[in-house]
Amino acid sequence: MSHWSEATQERAREIIARYPQKRSAVMPLLYLAMAEEGYLTNEGMEEVARWVDITPAQVQAVATFYTMYKRRPTGRYLVSCCTSISCMLLGGDDVLHAVEDESGVPHGETGADGLLSVEHVECIGACGGAPAVQVNYELIEGVTPDKARDLVRWLDTARPDVVNTDEMQELFGGVRSFDWAIREGEGAKGPYPAFQALGTVGREGET
Amino acid sequence: MGILSELIKGLRVTGGIMIRTIAGNELVTTEYPKEMRVKPQRFHGRHVLNRYPDGMEKCIGCELCAGACPAQCIYVRGEDNDPDNPKSPGERFGYVYEINMLRCIFCGLCVEACPTEAITMTHLFEFSTTNREDAIYTKETLLMDRRGSVPHMFPDDELVDLDELDSADGWVRATAPSGVAAYQGIEMWQGTPGPGDWSPEPTQEERDRLSRDRTSDG
Amino acid sequence: MPGPCQIAVSCRHVACTASGGLGVAMGEAGPEHVTITIDGVSHEVPAGALVIKAAQDRGTYIPRFCWHERMNPVGMCRMCLVEVQGPRGPMLVTACTNNVADGMVVDTRGPTVKKAQEAVLEFLLANHPLDCPVCDKGGECPLQDQAFSHGPGESRFVEIKRNFAKPIPISDLVLLDRERCILCARCTRFSDEISGDPLIEFKSRANVTEVNTFPDLPFSSYFSGNTIQICPVGALTSAQYRFRARPWDLQMVESSGMHDTAHPRLSVQVSQNEVLRLVGVDNDATNHGWLSDKDRFGFQYLTSEERLTMPLVRQDGQLVETTWAEALDRVAERIGLIRDEDGGEVFAVIGGGHGTNEDAYAISKFARVVLETNNVDARLDDALSSHFLAATADRGLIADIDGADTILLWGPDLKEEHPTLYLRVRRAAQELGVRLVVIHPRATGLDDRASMKLTYRPGGGFALLDEVADGKHPELRQALSADRVVAIVGQASFADGPQLAESVAAYVRNKAGSARILPLARRGNIFGALDMGLAPDLLPGRVAPDHAGRAALAESWGEPPAARGKDTRAMLEGIDSGEIRFLLLVGADPVRDVPDPRRALLAMDSAEYVVSIDLFLNDSNREADVVLPAAGFAEKDGTVTNLEGRVQKVNVIAPIPGQGRPDWAILDDLAERAGRPIGLANAESIAKEISEVAPAYTGITWDHLEWEARDGAVVPLSGSQPLSHIPVALKGDNAPTAPLLLHVGRTLYDDGVMLRHSPSLRPLARGAVVHLNPEDAKKAGAQDGHPVRVVTSHGEGEFSAILDEGTPEGVVYVPFNQPGGAPLGTDAVVRVTAVGR
Repeated sequence: MSHWSEATQERAREIIARYPQKRSAVMPLLYLAMAEEGYLTNEGMEEVARWVDITPAQVQAVATFYTMYKRRPTGRYLVSCCTSISCMLLGGDDVLHAVEDESGVPHGETGADGLLSVEHVECIGACGGAPAVQVNYELIEGVTPDKARDLVRWLDTARPDVVNTDEMQELFGGVRSFDWAIREGEGAKGPYPAFQALGTVGREGET
Repeated sequence: MGILSELIKGLRVTGGIMIRTIAGNELVTTEYPKEMRVKPQRFHGRHVLNRYPDGMEKCIGCELCAGACPAQCIYVRGEDNDPDNPKSPGERFGYVYEINMLRCIFCGLCVEACPTEAITMTHLFEFSTTNREDAIYTKETLLMDRRGSVPHMFPDDELVDLDELDSADGWVRATAPSGVAAYQGIEMWQGTPGPGDWSPEPTQEERDRLSRDRTSDG
Repeated sequence: MPGPCQIAVSCRHVACTASGGLGVAMGEAGPEHVTITIDGVSHEVPAGALVIKAAQDRGTYIPRFCWHERMNPVGMCRMCLVEVQGPRGPMLVTACTNNVADGMVVDTRGPTVKKAQEAVLEFLLANHPLDCPVCDKGGECPLQDQAFSHGPGESRFVEIKRNFAKPIPISDLVLLDRERCILCARCTRFSDEISGDPLIEFKSRANVTEVNTFPDLPFSSYFSGNTIQICPVGALTSAQYRFRARPWDLQMVESSGMHDTAHPRLSVQVSQNEVLRLVGVDNDATNHGWLSDKDRFGFQYLTSEERLTMPLVRQDGQLVETTWAEALDRVAERIGLIRDEDGGEVFAVIGGGHGTNEDAYAISKFARVVLETNNVDARLDDALSSHFLAATADRGLIADIDGADTILLWGPDLKEEHPTLYLRVRRAAQELGVRLVVIHPRATGLDDRASMKLTYRPGGGFALLDEVADGKHPELRQALSADRVVAIVGQASFADGPQLAESVAAYVRNKAGSARILPLARRGNIFGALDMGLAPDLLPGRVAPDHAGRAALAESWGEPPAARGKDTRAMLEGIDSGEIRFLLLVGADPVRDVPDPRRALLAMDSAEYVVSIDLFLNDSNREADVVLPAAGFAEKDGTVTNLEGRVQKVNVIAPIPGQGRPDWAILDDLAERAGRPIGLANAESIAKEISEVAPAYTGITWDHLEWEARDGAVVPLSGSQPLSHIPVALKGDNAPTAPLLLHVGRTLYDDGVMLRHSPSLRPLARGAVVHLNPEDAKKAGAQDGHPVRVVTSHGEGEFSAILDEGTPEGVVYVPFNQPGGAPLGTDAVVRVTAVGR
């Protein structure tokens, strides 16, 4: 009865098997549902509800609580500007306005061409390098409004297949919080499966 | 002491008063009903149900007047407003409103209780009817028409100080835009006691946009 | 504003009656006590109790919104903050999430607490609209009351409050107003913890959090009305009660719900002589304050336009209105004629299961004394044996469910037929850790909480029982060998026959350490009716006709007929064959209600003389010779008896429309006119007579029920009963063998006469549907939502197919008595074909 692909279903079975109780798997399965369709649809939530044996209303409660479950189609690049306190004090709002202005996309929305989505987010853990911006959850620290405009233009013209923290930090970043932080060179291919690289969703040992 | 002199003594008083009255100095009798006395401002006369300046009924059918009435002479029933054609701002309006004037003691507690100042008392006091049923005033009789009057045996008579009615506006008006389609762009609350100045109620489109901004999370 | 103050008082009163029982935490705390200090006064309270509950029981009310005695605490609203002296000094804690400890010092009204309470209320009211005058809850609203009693009086918030579209219908019965919601989670917790259908949940986060359903998936719970009752603000309102009245113009009286045999306690609320709503009353013994939607909203038939208001007699083929005297004289004359010609054997009385015990007693006495017959039956051919239902040994109490080791449920789907019991069993399995075994031909509402679930093919119940006895299901045997076992038994399917349940009871009785049996039956007061002798083999007070106990009865009534009477099926057959000449129906609609309506239809067609006492014209009495208007629920007082034998008082508060009269008054008048007065003066004197002549009811008087036993008294009071029926293992029919077998079961909402005239519930009946396993559907070529033809040897009809994994392969499930559904009878062998192929 499932309209997920066989691979996704296999994955779902594996994830559910990891937990003593089925319903514990609701969050990883929501990522699967999101990866399957690009964003979280009502059908996707209903499917998750069937997999973990709870009601769609309960799935919806989880899915709407967390802002990283996207319930509307997201652009190819998701630009998240932090406006929590550290970034706000160092001009995070200006960065956000610069991004909005340059891209013509107000925060919370996606451009008509489907290239960019802009959002303001709460703390993304880069207070040391504020103000911080993420593109497809890949972090850039120490962004200025001008650099943010450059970033938007670069995304529009270069349209990289993979966005990479190191590369973007080099081009548009400034002060970094920790130079010694974990480096993972892989980058992200899109907004939704972003946690696969960290092993939150994938098979054990897979990075 | 002749009876005649006594009579003349008495008639002198009568004649004196007659002359003074004809002279126009001490006229006490008024030619009611051709002439009306001005009632004191706080006179407790018959009730009316008021409207807002835009014509909507103020009564929301809450029955607080009925609850407050010590004579239990008020009967109210509320009903859902048709959202497309609301009778009052908000969800509910007074569908049935009846006051049994034979029981009413004109204490004014209903006026005190009314949260929207829908029911007030006028200076009218003529209630005579030829049967008991007519003494039960229904919404038809009580509700003010658009000219600021109610069906009454002396339609030209002044109800009450109309300026005062206009300036008053109870503490509850519509709180949700869904029920006030006809009230867009009009000041939500009038300048009666309350905190701050109020801007006109936003249109439904504006509200939708505002709430979209607030909920945009994905 | 004098209004709201008055309101606050009356509301508090309701809250008091509603929370009369023991709390969950206290009930289980046992005898151990600790000493705590509340506001400087020292109290002994049960160890482990919550501070809020302990304080309440000692007379200190701590304000609260989210905490509810019958649900687990969450500490969401923060209203119950109190100051507790801790090791690090005084600290504000929530009274609803902290247990008492020895030596605890609690301050509930000091300046710190007062400040905290005011702050919490100011925040709760920051966005709460001040539309109390248009809000249904206004006047009985905990938020309103506590804002008056504990609030700051003024707010510093001058900003415009938030606006949402409203009201949103989240189901056919419940409306949601999100502006008013204070996010206490009472409704969501109820649907998750208590009723087990969490179709409403929080949505979104932070300042835009709201309670809502999933899009296009309504809150269609059988228990949704409870969320309206426990909502501490006006966020959830009843579609049916909306704007009908304000709390201060309601009159109320306590009574018992008559839609299910557990008799949930409720308060009947009336304005302008019209019943406007029913509200659950917390009763430890039965319902814990909850009501099913059928009990809560299923009263609108009382004010239906189609209620009978005048006696009707047949004249020139038409039923025409007449006077009571005329109608009763006609009946009395006919009774006299027939009795003189053929004696009592030709009379039959069916019904009485919906009225009060007093009504049932009157019917019983009328039948025996005036009609001289034992042909009486309150069961409509769908119940277990009368002795088993009325007087089984080891009869359990509903409360036994809580303390059981194992609950065996072998019978109908409780969620559909016995919702009050369903909630108790669910709670026992979910919250109290009781092992639950469910045996039913298909999926039931309790499967998700069952530790073991067995299905069997319709009619195959005896085979399964034999298997269990032979040791084929060791786990089940072990579960049943536990110390305390409660067996809830009833007829799961028409195909099963009535003997199965008794055999199951007999098996459990032999197996378990101590077994308690709760037999199930339909119709609100069926147990009261049987106790009053409305069965061919019972006399009032659980006395068999040949028992010594009948002596007292004979003294009062004269010698009752000795021959065993006919049951409903035999009576209907007797009418058809001409053995029965006179039929009296009392609130019974056999054509709609017996499992095999062909028999009833034939009987109604060929009956010589039919008299019906009813609220409505129905399919059975439309052709009757005389129809007499009766009194309905809340229109008469009396007593009722539930499935555990608990007698409760029901009260009158609304007038009977037209010239309707209570059953007992009609029958008393009729007896008088027929020349054999039965001497019934009023309901209370009937109750007194019952307590004198019916052995099991000795000591049950209205005084006792209204003063000493407000929760009801379980009969017999003395502990011994005149007739003790020991369940015996009976032999059943051979299981039918066919590829497809029919399982006909009842649903909560159907086309019964009361629901048909209740506009809120009528649209909720499922309609003519048939549940098929997807595999069977494939074989029959049936598609989901498409029509199929269902054929048995008793009947056939077109039904809309529902593909349903919960129905096992080889089983065809059809809900009984649905609008538009054809009757299929009791034959289990069935054929299903897709229509249009």
